[in-house]
Amino acid sequence: MRDVVRLVWFDLKQELRPPVWIVMEWVTFGIQLFVYGAIISQLVSGISNYQQFYAAGFVVMMTFEVGSHSGRHFVEHAHDGLLPYLLSLPISRSKLFLAITLQGGAELALMITVPLIITLSLIGNLTAISVVAAIVTLFCLGFGIAGFMLGLSFIAFKSSDVYSAVTIVMSTVVIRFSTVLYPFIFLPPSYASVAIFSPLTYGADLFRLLLGFDPSMLLSPTVAVAVIAALMATTLGLGMFLLQRLVEGVKSA
Amino acid sequence: MIAVETQKLVKRYGKTFALKGLDFSVEEKEIMVLLGPNGSGKTTLLLILATVLKPTSGMAKVMGLEVTKQPTQVRRVLGISFQDARGFWRHKPAEILRFHAAMCGVRKTESATLIEETLKMLELWDARNKLFMHLSGGQAKRLEVAKLLIQRPKFAIFDEPSSQVDLRGKRAIWEQILRLREEGSTILVATNEVREAEYLADRVTILDLGERVTCDTVHNLKDKITGGDIVELELEQPQEDAEIPQDLSEIPGTVKLMQTGKGMYKAYVSMAEAWVPKMTSLCYEKKIRVSSVRVTEPSLDDVFLHFTGKKLESQANA
Repeated sequence: MRDVVRLVWFDLKQELRPPVWIVMEWVTFGIQLFVYGAIISQLVSGISNYQQFYAAGFVVMMTFEVGSHSGRHFVEHAHDGLLPYLLSLPISRSKLFLAITLQGGAELALMITVPLIITLSLIGNLTAISVVAAIVTLFCLGFGIAGFMLGLSFIAFKSSDVYSAVTIVMSTVVIRFSTVLYPFIFLPPSYASVAIFSPLTYGADLFRLLLGFDPSMLLSPTVAVAVIAALMATTLGLGMFLLQRLVEGVKSA
Repeated sequence: MIAVETQKLVKRYGKTFALKGLDFSVEEKEIMVLLGPNGSGKTTLLLILATVLKPTSGMAKVMGLEVTKQPTQVRRVLGISFQDARGFWRHKPAEILRFHAAMCGVRKTESATLIEETLKMLELWDARNKLFMHLSGGQAKRLEVAKLLIQRPKFAIFDEPSSQVDLRGKRAIWEQILRLREEGSTILVATNEVREAEYLADRVTILDLGERVTCDTVHNLKDKITGGDIVELELEQPQEDAEIPQDLSEIPGTVKLMQTGKGMYKAYVSMAEAWVPKMTSLCYEKKIRVSSVRVTEPSLDDVFLHFTGKKLESQANA
């Protein structure tokens, strides 16, 4: 396991160099929450405190972005030639995949720590168990999205431009057609019929439920747990399969 | 003892065959050079041996371990220096080497000294605190080679180890590769540079279009070229002897003889080291003084041309 930790730490250090971008993400969160969120909250009448709802949604959006970044990170590794180097290191493929996944998890933890603390203090009135459960939900969602994006990144071995274009459109569609920014009960039927297939809908609703939001606005937590668990299991399996596939076929960059 | 072996090794990318049933072997503690133009299958073979790629079919063994069945064990006995420098863009050379050494099980107490020595030897010491992305192409390449010099694996693979490196740097890299072999490593070098192959090789395998064309020592390969050696002679003849050209042509191993001036001849021979003594005996018998002899060996480029009908260096530079 020492090799896995070493690999995660080394790759993470590279991501944090320079660390200014992670701080900028926190600043963006603060501005969005305390300027946009605060003002829009006064205009929204259907929810008692939209700023809190928006804060939780923004943390889920950040989770999606970090998960999505893991896929891009993988593509970059393939294109800058680092992946063959990683594949030649004297560790097993499963440990390598674990390291890639944990690196994504560690990046997620770093990215959302400050926004999460701000969100929790804004909401207040929380129990330790619900906070831990909320964090676990975000991690599962992040891993699931990272696994999905790793799968999607496979198409990028022919073109990283196609990958970037697809992920930009995807993130716009997946976030807007979900309950990240608005409760399910307020969605028009046509939007709701799409949102019900978005994993972000379940991630956001489960996260909010654990933070103590009104359950009447949210989808069934049992279904949400099942969807998140299934997403994580299938996409991680898919990622592992693709890594093997990569070893078998894709030409070195 | 055989350190590396492949049998009927095939690698296919879609409809293109990179390797077409390759049979190949490397003896323990030798430097085997794979010589071939771009697209001949050299890098594909190296990546299969390093377990980065899986073969489509066939068998490949490294130190008795099958690459498809025991890949993790194979990776523990080998190291690879890639054709293109592989780096963590935002790390520094010293950090990259420390990481590589740790991942490959080099003890921390040893690695610090080894890293300093290697960085100095490859003239990277001044660049040790630069980020990888700020290194020049030659520096990045030298860093790639440095990884293996620190790891000192049982089986070391170098893919074009001195490409993009200046002449002084090339010499330093070659010396270190020879040193690695002296310390007991088995070495496989892929290159399309004739000078590199001639400097390093114990044996050379010529690859072309995914197939092994021939394999032997540099000396034997050159000897296999009929008329590959060129002997330029200058004889001091008081008067023109009409029999001399005929006599020289009849020396065994003579492929072609041309008179280039008065008493001057150019002979294309199969093995100059056998031909020259016979020529001097002949001249001694005929009381002719040999004022100069110049022997030119064929290059590996000539060898490649002989076996494949193509020029290697023109393809490499194309």
